[in-house]
Amino acid sequence: MAARLELTLKPDLFDAEGAAICRKANDYFGFHIESVRTVNILTIDVDLTPGQFKAIQEEIFANPVIQIASYKPLDIDFDWIVWVGYRPGVRDNPGSTAVEAVEDLLRIRVKPHEGIYTSKRYCLKGRKLSFQDASRVARELLANDIIQQWKVFFRKDWDAAVGVGIMIPKVKLDHKPTVTVIPVDSDKALGRISKERNLALNPHDVPAIRAYFLREDVLAQRRAVELSAPTDVELEYISQARSDHCNHNTFKGLFHYRDLATGKAQEVDNLFATCIEAPTLAIKKKKPWVVSVLWDNAGVGRLNDEYYYVITGETHNSPSNMEAYGGAITGIVGVYRDPMGTGKGARLIMGMYGYCVGPRDYHGELKPRLHPRRLLDGVIEGVRDGGNKSGVPTPYGQVWFHEGYLGKCLVFVTAIGLMPARVTGTPSEEKTTSPGDLIIMCGGRVGKDGIHGVTAASEGFSAHTPAGHVQIGDPYTQKKMHDFLLEARDEGLIAFITDNGGGGLSSSIGESARFSGGCVVELDRVPLKYEGLDQWEIWVSESQERMTVAIKPEHRQRFMTLSEKHAVESTVIGRYTDSGKLHITYDGQTCAYVDLDLLTSRFPQWTFEAEWTPPEMRGLFEPVLAEPEDASRLLLDLLCRPNICSKEWIVRQYDHEVQGTSVIKPLVGKERDVNSDAVVIRPALDSFQGLATAQALLPTYSQIDTYPMVACTVDEAIRRVVAVGGDPDHVGGVDNFCWPSVQYDPLDNPDGKYKAAQLVRANWALRDVCQAYEVPLLSGKDSMYVDGHLTGPYGETHKVSALPTLQFTCTSVVEDLTQCVTMDAKFPGDLVYIVGGTRNELGASEYYEHMGYVGLQVPTLEPEVSMQCYRALNQAIKEELVASCHGVYRGGLGIHLAMVAMGRGLGMTIDLSKVPRTDAEQNHVVLYSESPGRFIVTIDPKDRSSFESVMNTLPRACIGTVSEGPDLVIHGLKGEALIRVPVSALKAAWKRPFGGLI
Amino acid sequence: MTQGNTCQKEVEVLVLSGYGLNCDFETAYAFELAGAVSHRVHINSLISGDVSLADYDILVFDGGFSWGDDHGAGVLEAVRIKYNIGDGLQRFIAEGNLILGICNGFQALVNLGLLPGFDGDYETRRVALTFNDCGNFRDDWVTLLGNRRSPCVFTSGIAGLELPVRHGEGKFFASRKVIQRLIDQRQVVLQYATPTGEAAMGQFPYNPNGSVHDIAGICDATGRIFGLMPHPEAFNHWTNHPDWTWTKARLKRQGESIKAEPAPGIQVFKNAVDYIRDTGR
Repeated sequence: MAARLELTLKPDLFDAEGAAICRKANDYFGFHIESVRTVNILTIDVDLTPGQFKAIQEEIFANPVIQIASYKPLDIDFDWIVWVGYRPGVRDNPGSTAVEAVEDLLRIRVKPHEGIYTSKRYCLKGRKLSFQDASRVARELLANDIIQQWKVFFRKDWDAAVGVGIMIPKVKLDHKPTVTVIPVDSDKALGRISKERNLALNPHDVPAIRAYFLREDVLAQRRAVELSAPTDVELEYISQARSDHCNHNTFKGLFHYRDLATGKAQEVDNLFATCIEAPTLAIKKKKPWVVSVLWDNAGVGRLNDEYYYVITGETHNSPSNMEAYGGAITGIVGVYRDPMGTGKGARLIMGMYGYCVGPRDYHGELKPRLHPRRLLDGVIEGVRDGGNKSGVPTPYGQVWFHEGYLGKCLVFVTAIGLMPARVTGTPSEEKTTSPGDLIIMCGGRVGKDGIHGVTAASEGFSAHTPAGHVQIGDPYTQKKMHDFLLEARDEGLIAFITDNGGGGLSSSIGESARFSGGCVVELDRVPLKYEGLDQWEIWVSESQERMTVAIKPEHRQRFMTLSEKHAVESTVIGRYTDSGKLHITYDGQTCAYVDLDLLTSRFPQWTFEAEWTPPEMRGLFEPVLAEPEDASRLLLDLLCRPNICSKEWIVRQYDHEVQGTSVIKPLVGKERDVNSDAVVIRPALDSFQGLATAQALLPTYSQIDTYPMVACTVDEAIRRVVAVGGDPDHVGGVDNFCWPSVQYDPLDNPDGKYKAAQLVRANWALRDVCQAYEVPLLSGKDSMYVDGHLTGPYGETHKVSALPTLQFTCTSVVEDLTQCVTMDAKFPGDLVYIVGGTRNELGASEYYEHMGYVGLQVPTLEPEVSMQCYRALNQAIKEELVASCHGVYRGGLGIHLAMVAMGRGLGMTIDLSKVPRTDAEQNHVVLYSESPGRFIVTIDPKDRSSFESVMNTLPRACIGTVSEGPDLVIHGLKGEALIRVPVSALKAAWKRPFGGLI
Repeated sequence: MTQGNTCQKEVEVLVLSGYGLNCDFETAYAFELAGAVSHRVHINSLISGDVSLADYDILVFDGGFSWGDDHGAGVLEAVRIKYNIGDGLQRFIAEGNLILGICNGFQALVNLGLLPGFDGDYETRRVALTFNDCGNFRDDWVTLLGNRRSPCVFTSGIAGLELPVRHGEGKFFASRKVIQRLIDQRQVVLQYATPTGEAAMGQFPYNPNGSVHDIAGICDATGRIFGLMPHPEAFNHWTNHPDWTWTKARLKRQGESIKAEPAPGIQVFKNAVDYIRDTGR
């Protein structure tokens, strides 16, 4: 008989969780809850004696200093009770650790059909609260019905003896695993089955799939293993591997590009090959620090002779859009498996985040599944728990608000690892599988969760998207596996390692088997969370926290011993062969038998029509806007715009100091509250090499042209690492594209051709800028279909597409990290310089956006001049001539002068007429143009001649001084008094929007 | 054994690892900087007997998220240790060795009952570290005041210190009676303070979690067991400090450079190593 243990804080203790719920209810819904007390519930469905129940209460779960606990419902005053528990099959992390602890204390084994389940009961007080209010708190704040179930109890309906009842969310599948054979009589029939089974096969692929299975030689070989028409296991495998998410069909597609202004047409064959792969390989030849790119789970660069760093970036958009916390935690924990599965395995040393969401205070009439405020809170918390519990610092991140992300939010997650250059004498970046190697699955078990995650990410979000692919990541299980695999690596036990992400075993084994040339997998050996999964489900399930490892048979015993020591489950599920075949069996019967090269050779290229309409032809123009008279108030108002203002509340939730490597932190300055340009860590504690890292996003420029959007984004990320002391000649990049659907459809995607042209131009810019700066793309990913269909006020639905977005990440090595600089002006009397030229480029600027315009003259890049500036500035930093250095980014010079002053609360006196500029003859242009390639630098006056001689003839000028006074004072182009604001007022304005959040 | 120093035995430090602990690398490094020999040892290696506590002078419960912090931070780690190697641990204490608990390790120590260890009772839970009053995990640097009259071995000579805190459950709580006793017995070792060194008096963010009496760290009555929420191992180099670029620029203009070897956080570990050496254990 199951028992229910209730635990809560003693009545005189402050309930911080309850207080946070009151605060959020007020923030989200505007109504007042007087108090909330939280009761944690453990439903223990384990056969225990009364003595054992008592023991686990007293010895494990109830803390006598702060808690009260009982197997009967606790008597706590309330007006409404909201109970929230997980749905069956949803990962319950504390439920699993409770089982571990009970087994440890009582020296028992919890049986497969038993379990412990956690849930919560919230006791709400508030005389004015209605049933609707309590339900709203349950539905829109405490529970997400995709993963949770909830119940509301009113005071008079509450039975104090029964409480919430005994709820056991156990999965029961009364199902015998079955392999289904799928007839391939016609393209139409197969297409129909693809729809029915949610396979998301591309219609162009269907004939190729049929042709393969109808080939005489294939049929003959299949007969030998008692197969005929394809099985569901086989078609699911092909579907996963051919999905846009895994195969990047869009980036490898053929684009018929036409410029509608000039009429010029050209064919662009394979953006990946021409704009990413070819330039990167060419740069790799020139840069010996580039160790391994473009084939593994992450790229590898050299930190020093002993260590390599490993980097990649991912997105987790669709799941986060539906279940923000679960999607985001699964995203960060998932991307952490990429460095773990790169080369022979890397130790994680850093994570980063990027969130693109609708406005936090959105109150329009469209109804996104989750309000942007709730969605943002959820993703922040998901990455917080996933990152912090992984023991990996999360020091850098960014947020961008725009209504285009109401349709689908973007959640970028980036991971960096560190590995020794050699592992037991062999290069750490190399790995392979060989015939005879054992296939081992490590970590979590397989359940129905995550099935069809890949194919769902390859489609826009609509009411039909299956919610089953939303999971909750388990950083604890993964951290144990991480520690285990590193120990196994160091003993030389790992021949090959890769993660189970999108596509599950289907992808990880399918891809690793290409090295040896084949495999045999025994699916019945795969450990399951519960019985009743079909074979195809085991094969494609995306259950988290799993790695696939190849080891030599002679290493089996040692590998398993280490696995047991680390309390990690590892199972041999097959072996690699050189048969040329992917061969899957279940209970000895073949259920898949496919040529491994089927996926690489026999499918038609996707094709796209791409039509570029230049911005002038789209009716964009420069607004007629005269100089504002109240320039001080304008600056203050710009500082509190959502995409400019302080987001300290997010930064502080993330552990950015763990591992003891922090050198330049995310927030710097006297009060540790102004954003650093980049972060620097000391990956190897006993060396002086630093790794500088930063990211950039400028999606708003896409409104005018995606070419400068990408060019400026890449430049900003590079400039950020240069600003802290990174070497501009050792910069690696990671590109993460998020794009709306580019396949034209007259009804569903009428502007598809334009979006396709935007994608082509973005790639051209990436190619050109990376070549100019000699930045190799160490890693990258693309996430297409960033569209959503939102319900409007009349029940109609609107398609909402995101702005074409590129997140760009840069890493750079700092040879001597004690030479790093921060952005805060250091001392009164220091000289303020600007490096780089300012042009009349207000198009799509923060200033224009504030005024309600888009404009036309979008910022443009002159990479050759910029690169010279970056090299000279890097020299000046190394010679310790620079007291502070800060790039000029979104918001322009006005905003970023304010930031430099806010760093230590020091005043500055600035003369705009000294700013090096071209065609920028109005104060508001000089202050708010977002021309790239610029820095604000402060120096000790003693260093003036040395600094100027290093900067030589490059565009730079001394534009003022850091002052004793409290004000930021800016004189206009004609010498007139333009701005005078206390720096403290600037900071107060900048902190106002989100300053109250913790 | 270092040559030319042959009479001196190495100080052996055991830093726990596994089950979600995550500060084992830098904690081991900090002890190396302090002159000890560090070993990262999986909790299960102690339980299986592959490694014996008896071979070590200092045991460290380092930071992390053991068992994901589920069911109270440090709770399940304490259960696992207590019911598997509890006797060995009691022996280790009785033999006069040192134990340090940092963050999650501090939480484990209070759940094991090793702290506050009143009257030599190292089994009873009397204090708790619970959810921050601010309602969230928080990473920030704090200013700490050291209690010069405390018997704590680790903080000897430390009057003040700046360190990072990174936790969601760091609010120190105990009954008024227990708090008073901690004060009376000089077991309150570190307290949160304002940047100018005044008592924080509960004021956020100087006291980042609402700890009663601004308590950031306590020791047992002997001073040989010490637990604290802030992370001294994360101040292992002067470039860890949030304002080092300013300090460096200031000193440069006076013709000086930063001389901070070892970094202030390392002093905590050095004190422990020196104690073992000085007592000739």
